[in-house]
Amino acid sequence: MLSLKLAWRNLFRNTRRTLLTCMLITSSLVVIILVDGIMLGMIDVMVGGITKTLEGEAQVNQKGFRENFEPELFLNDPDAITAALASDERVAGHAPRVIIGGMIASPYNTTGGLVYGVDALSELRVSRLEEATYEGEYLTGAKREILLGKLMGELLEVSLGDRIIITAAKVDTGEITQELFRVTGFFEFGPEEMDQSLAFINLSAAQPLLGMDGHVHQIAVQFVDPEDAKNKTLPTLTRLNQGNVEALGWLDLQPSIGGIIEMSSYASAIVGAVLFILTSLGVINSMFMSIYERIYEFGVAKAIGTTPRQIIALVLFEAFFLALMACAIGVLLGYLASSYFESNGIPMGRMEMSGVLLDGNLHTEVRAYQFVAFPIYVTLLTVAAAIYPAVFASRIVPSQALQRVL
Amino acid sequence: MKTVIETKNLVRKFGEAQTQVTALSNVSTHIEEGEFTAIIGPSGSGKTTLLQLIGGLDEPDSGDVFLSGTNIANMSGKQLSDFRRDHIGFIFQSYNLIPVLSAEENIEYIMLLQGVDEKDRKTRVQEMLALVGLEGLGDRRPSQLSGGQQQRVAVARAMASKPDIILADEPTANLDSTTGIALLDMMRELNAQMNMTFVFSTHDQKIMDRADRLIHLEDGVIQLDEICSS
Repeated sequence: MLSLKLAWRNLFRNTRRTLLTCMLITSSLVVIILVDGIMLGMIDVMVGGITKTLEGEAQVNQKGFRENFEPELFLNDPDAITAALASDERVAGHAPRVIIGGMIASPYNTTGGLVYGVDALSELRVSRLEEATYEGEYLTGAKREILLGKLMGELLEVSLGDRIIITAAKVDTGEITQELFRVTGFFEFGPEEMDQSLAFINLSAAQPLLGMDGHVHQIAVQFVDPEDAKNKTLPTLTRLNQGNVEALGWLDLQPSIGGIIEMSSYASAIVGAVLFILTSLGVINSMFMSIYERIYEFGVAKAIGTTPRQIIALVLFEAFFLALMACAIGVLLGYLASSYFESNGIPMGRMEMSGVLLDGNLHTEVRAYQFVAFPIYVTLLTVAAAIYPAVFASRIVPSQALQRVL
Repeated sequence: MKTVIETKNLVRKFGEAQTQVTALSNVSTHIEEGEFTAIIGPSGSGKTTLLQLIGGLDEPDSGDVFLSGTNIANMSGKQLSDFRRDHIGFIFQSYNLIPVLSAEENIEYIMLLQGVDEKDRKTRVQEMLALVGLEGLGDRRPSQLSGGQQQRVAVARAMASKPDIILADEPTANLDSTTGIALLDMMRELNAQMNMTFVFSTHDQKIMDRADRLIHLEDGVIQLDEICSS
């Protein structure tokens, strides 16, 4: 107890130095908490960008369809799949889609693109299409409705009500077929590639156009708990994985994003490691200064019988208390800063990353482990950084330390 | 009388080759229980070195130091730490109290190292404070005490561990004459009352006047070992 008291009081022998070292440790902790919050926020935006925009948190496709969007690779029994998804409590929504590559022409221009045939109501619970429709009306189910991406609309030089001709090959016969549509709205998802090459029509119009009545290419799924989508053994998906049907979560659908997320955690670890190294050097320097100032005192302590192990314990206790103080302040400041940016966001401007648009403010994520695990790491590393000075102090030779007086 | 300290042919050299200095040369002496001895001599005579060797703070190049019959010259660091803690009390010239601990805590510290239980520690602390005339000042930190009071706390700390001998290096060097005399008289009284053995390294005439025995060192050799009649 007296040793603890001694260690605690020693910290305040040079209050200015203790505060400076404390601030160094505190700053590192706050930065680590913020960086982790930013990374989580960024991952959230990226994952949300993929899963909420159009792709869904999971998809059911025929095997091989996603590689080249071959029109003949459609789901043979979509009703059974739809029924299974509808009866699963984990599923928040599912939307059947027909997807076909075709020629999209206006009276003024022509372009190639992917045409999605969607069920307007189902799509509301799976994608952001309605929210992204910034001009005109969302699909109502009428036969000739078509929504164009903003950039495609500009390329085709059309406005609301203008005619659009879609030319595609029928799935059953391979015949070229054409259908007339009227532009009812324009959408903007953000990523250039999507706004330039996608068009949406009603499923009820797409199926006869392509000669695939009753069939769909894809069923997109959203879960009640988004974490379910990462579970590779989730019964919702594994049950559907039969024959030539594959049901995959977004991590399998977008492995590149999984890689980016993994890279983000490495980036956090690298930032953390650099900060820890700098902080450790600061702690070592501070502890050494403190020890050099007290060499005579350590000499006396050893002369009267304090063992090297007790000296090491004393110095480590000092580091421990220093870390505790710094972490207490760091947790408070980290929480305040992280909460502020969680509510108000960090202005990031507009940028596209891996096909996902990061626009406006990036909101950090506040998680409990940031205020438990990180302070524990910081405390352990601060104590670890004090081992070297502690061993140095334990090796002080009393006769040399007392030389000036004895 | 029981022999507390015995040194045999102690040799201690510092430096190497041409710059080597012999601080002690074949010093053999013994100190009996209850003696109030002063090691005296000019600067560089070797009295500090002798005190360090007796206290186990330094190792001789050759020779032996027996403390209560135990040869401490060849002990390991840990053994020496434990031995110093249990058998030797030190009083240094100045600044020898831990500044962030109160007088009571400074006295208690050494007993904590010895593993004395809390109740006994607290009792003994009060006894020691009373013995050195500092009742009521136990909660003060060293900076709140005068130089003389600090040295009294140092004496109390040295005695708290119930050592076989107290080694004091120039304990009056930083004190004014009156305070120094009061401190020495107190130590002399403790010596007389409790038969505590004191060995001083000093230039101070006041200590020499009160010592039972004076060991004159010069150039690392004992020139004179005289018993004084006080």
